[in-house]
Amino acid sequence: MTESMTIGSVRFRGASRFALALLTMLIAIAPVAADEIDFAHDIVPILRRHCAACHTGERKEGNFSMNTRGSLLAGGDGGRAVISGDSGKSALLERIAGDDEFTRMPPEGPLVPPEQAALLERWIDAGLPWQEGFSFLPKTYEPPLRPRLPELPPSRDGRTNPVDRIIDAYLAEQNLPRPEPADDASFARRVHLDLIGLLPEPRLFERFVADRSSDKRERLVRRLLDDDLAYAEHWLTFWNDLLRNDYSGTGYITGGRKQITRWLHDALRENKPYDEFVRELIAPTPESEGFIRGIRWRGDVNSSQTESVQFAQNVSQAFLGINMKCASCHDSFIDRWKLDEAYGLAAIHATSPLEIHRCDKPTGRIAKAAWIFPELGEIDPAADRQKRLEQLAGLMTHPDNGRLTRTIVNRLWHRLMGRGIVHPVDAMHTEPWSADLLDHLAVHLAENQYDLKKSIELIATSRAYEARTPRRETASDADAYRFDGPVARRMTAEQFVDAVWRITGEAPPKHDAPGLERPGDPAPMVRAALMKNDFFMRSLGRPTRDQIVSMRPSELATLEAIDLANSPFLAETIARGARRRLAEFDSPTALIDWLFAAALSRSPTADERRLALDSLGETPAAENVEDLLWAVFMLPEFQLIR
Amino acid sequence: MRTDSIDHREPMSEHLARRDFLRQMAAASTAALMASQPKWLAAAEGELAIEHPRPTADACILLWMAGGMAAPETFDPKRYLPFEVGIPVEKVMSTFPAIDTAVDDIKICQGLEEIAQVMDRATLVRSHVQPDLGHILHSRHQYHWHTGYVPPQTVACPHLGAWMARVLGPRDPVMPAFVNIGQRLEGVGESEELKAFTTAGFFGSEFGPMNLPYPDQAARAVRPPRDMRPDRFENRNRLYRKLIDASPQREYLSDHQQQSMLRAMDNAHRLLSSPKRDAFDVSLEPKESFEQYDTGRFGQGCLLARRLVEAGARFVEVTTEYVPFLHWDTHENGHKTVERLHREIDRPIARLIHDLEDRGLLDRTLVIVASEFSRDMIIEGVPGSNARDQARVKSDTLQEMTHYGLHRHFTGGSSVLLFGGGMKRGLLYGETAPDRPCLAIRNPVSVMDLHATIFTAMGISPRTAFAVERRPFYATEDGKGKPVKDLFA
Repeated sequence: MTESMTIGSVRFRGASRFALALLTMLIAIAPVAADEIDFAHDIVPILRRHCAACHTGERKEGNFSMNTRGSLLAGGDGGRAVISGDSGKSALLERIAGDDEFTRMPPEGPLVPPEQAALLERWIDAGLPWQEGFSFLPKTYEPPLRPRLPELPPSRDGRTNPVDRIIDAYLAEQNLPRPEPADDASFARRVHLDLIGLLPEPRLFERFVADRSSDKRERLVRRLLDDDLAYAEHWLTFWNDLLRNDYSGTGYITGGRKQITRWLHDALRENKPYDEFVRELIAPTPESEGFIRGIRWRGDVNSSQTESVQFAQNVSQAFLGINMKCASCHDSFIDRWKLDEAYGLAAIHATSPLEIHRCDKPTGRIAKAAWIFPELGEIDPAADRQKRLEQLAGLMTHPDNGRLTRTIVNRLWHRLMGRGIVHPVDAMHTEPWSADLLDHLAVHLAENQYDLKKSIELIATSRAYEARTPRRETASDADAYRFDGPVARRMTAEQFVDAVWRITGEAPPKHDAPGLERPGDPAPMVRAALMKNDFFMRSLGRPTRDQIVSMRPSELATLEAIDLANSPFLAETIARGARRRLAEFDSPTALIDWLFAAALSRSPTADERRLALDSLGETPAAENVEDLLWAVFMLPEFQLIR
Repeated sequence: MRTDSIDHREPMSEHLARRDFLRQMAAASTAALMASQPKWLAAAEGELAIEHPRPTADACILLWMAGGMAAPETFDPKRYLPFEVGIPVEKVMSTFPAIDTAVDDIKICQGLEEIAQVMDRATLVRSHVQPDLGHILHSRHQYHWHTGYVPPQTVACPHLGAWMARVLGPRDPVMPAFVNIGQRLEGVGESEELKAFTTAGFFGSEFGPMNLPYPDQAARAVRPPRDMRPDRFENRNRLYRKLIDASPQREYLSDHQQQSMLRAMDNAHRLLSSPKRDAFDVSLEPKESFEQYDTGRFGQGCLLARRLVEAGARFVEVTTEYVPFLHWDTHENGHKTVERLHREIDRPIARLIHDLEDRGLLDRTLVIVASEFSRDMIIEGVPGSNARDQARVKSDTLQEMTHYGLHRHFTGGSSVLLFGGGMKRGLLYGETAPDRPCLAIRNPVSVMDLHATIFTAMGISPRTAFAVERRPFYATEDGKGKPVKDLFA
């Protein structure tokens, strides 16, 4: 009997809900006038704070959702919660008053304070004005998988680079101004640091500034990219972080880890096509197998850290910008990836049957080797491991896998422009600020035989890249990013150390990368990227590469500043360098001019020259030069790439 | 560093299931990923009000017995048997006799007479337990103990001290919040493994440790380089500031990245020229006091810790230093080694407690003496464990003095001392079996719950969480750590 009554009651409520929905539509169509209530600022925060946990998004406790005005008016199992225009008949106000312990809302936690309840009352009486299109249910975005070649907008004002054609159209559409171009000196400094990681030599940049030809920037970009060794040893830092390769670190002590340094150095120098590069990492040769081997720890590890599951995580993150870490423990709560999909990838790598563990507990099910985008093809779970890896390598670099190309061009864009088109760069399921730009770059890479240098060249020769770096007042642009030019990049630890070595002439004679033969006789300056991580570089943000790192911290921490102020490494390097440079120059002015050119790629202003001269004196001592070197190295203008 | 949205009066809404919390967070944390630091979830739009406990301590000193301190040789004495050729190894439970302490029912090992005299200020936990992790390995267990998470993890976990630096900040704006004393991170065995947990992890280096491996050289870390004269140091900084002001790039003066860089440089300069930096200089300590502490690097480290806490440091770790097969890592000659270690730690620890008390700081300073695990002569791990033996001595009877001591790793029951900071005085908590295996048989305390206790004393909820890669990352694993209420006064 109780049961039938319950059913009856549900039916009744169902019917009333339907009737309400009709009513709602009528109300929604009618214009709502309520000037005094500001829905977004007055009402939304109250609902968010007190109701959202149970009645918005996917949640609708008691079948009651406040996602939209319609669903709010529709009510739930408890009947209608609000009657538009009639707060006296709106149950919501009674419930939030909290007089009845059993029906109070929210059931636990603080009640809505009286003054906020009064606002809600006025809002209801005013007819529940709602911001058009607003919903508490976040919009879900599912990125496309296949490549897409967007139609290029016509070029404006002779700006023909496809990047500019897309961005110019974007700026016009958003009614945003075109960023001003940077001057030659800033451009020269920026492009040297971005492409080969080194400051321009003073003579070279002076010649560049003096050059009057119209294609000099394009030629400079090409020339830098043609410097195979310098290019490779700069991008090595980025790839070492992304593939967690290092010359020392956790795991090596017990042979639980293997370097890929030689392979990577060769691949970058030869500019190995990216599809081939990825294939050799996934279905590796003995030289490149370190990446998929991961780190083998002694003893038992959490099942989400076995080498096969590490493989699933690392392959997803590095090549696809997918965070599979959640899904390798349980179905992800934050994106669409499932435990079984993480384990499917892991099973490609596994040498013996791999039992699926949920939150570290065995499920009794054995994972079946599978690939996460079956629309591109399948892995044969019966094939042997080598075959499975080859199949995965093939699927990953399948011409229709636009996710691979989008992920890498987005990373390159981030390195050169300071912010991804999709940002953060490891959250590739996020909507890009310009899908056309991302898609164009991705197709461009594939059409150019996966030549990464071509992608870099395309970006670096665009007016967008050449634009001045605007001042930014705040760190976060989460809510409303609009393209307005490059974002300043902080020098990596390696770039900073290389720059200091360049200016002081103090680079070490030998590098730390085992078995690496550097071409050239004599080989060019040893680069910091080839040295083991040390105290100083670690302090400046070079990570211990236990986990993949795709973005290093952009801000200087106090402890880092202390090390910059007094680390013996830096002080001694500068001291030796100061003596060397002091002996080389005839006059303090010549030294100052050279230093500004070498460090900042510009001449000092009259003010700066005077300040520097004051500090050096007529006949400078080595310690005067030391202090000037230090002061220049500490300038934001030196440490930031703008 | 606390934000207003953490309301200490409001109870936390317990009905929020983790899953829902995650969904909210996924939406709320996009912003967090933009900035370089993870977002504090409790502060996220006030949706999840975490009730932080009222702190009973403002500062914390961790005295780390690195390498596995044998409880039966220190704070949990068992049946003592002096060395004799031919005695069966399993008969030896402790190689030191027990002595009385200031508390009637607490006895500890001979050699720790001065600590015995301050036991009435201590809570002694004898039932601290650790997992086995397959191999009982120093580096992994130290990682676990210092971060609360068993390695490997998919993100870089912050050290306990980094949590305090991040959530509480420095007590004095000039002082670093997190100082790590006594551990060399270069040139020692397993240094990479040590670095892996001696870090702020995903919090970023602003909250990382200031590492001071040699206490007697700590002053150098906050001094101008190479003993640069103060006037020269000031001039150098003045030149730097003038060059910034003279920069033709005027428009960047208000750029946030430039501002933040200048702020960091300013902070550094302020510490390096502040009188507070004298706290780092143990040579300024009165001779008599210095000598009391000076049993070596550890003793000097205790002195340095006291000076830093007096000056406003938040979290200081002092280690006896982990070096494979040295110090507490007694794989042979355990008795003799521990005799030396007793001398090294006894007086400085007792003196530290006295000094803090004399200065009125002990009540608000939590001092912890702990280690990654204990040791036992006969077995390693616990019965049924697959952990493998690492001791090099394989014999049923004692033949040489070098075999006399507790040598094998043991995770079933170890001792932790807690002083001050709101802990009870003269409390004995937990118990291990009188016979082998000396497992915790009453009130076992896991690493997670010990951490919850420490966090709670410092006024940090064990459920405090930050969004990392859009997942919540908690102060104690999954937010599940429960403080051991009985330890609080």
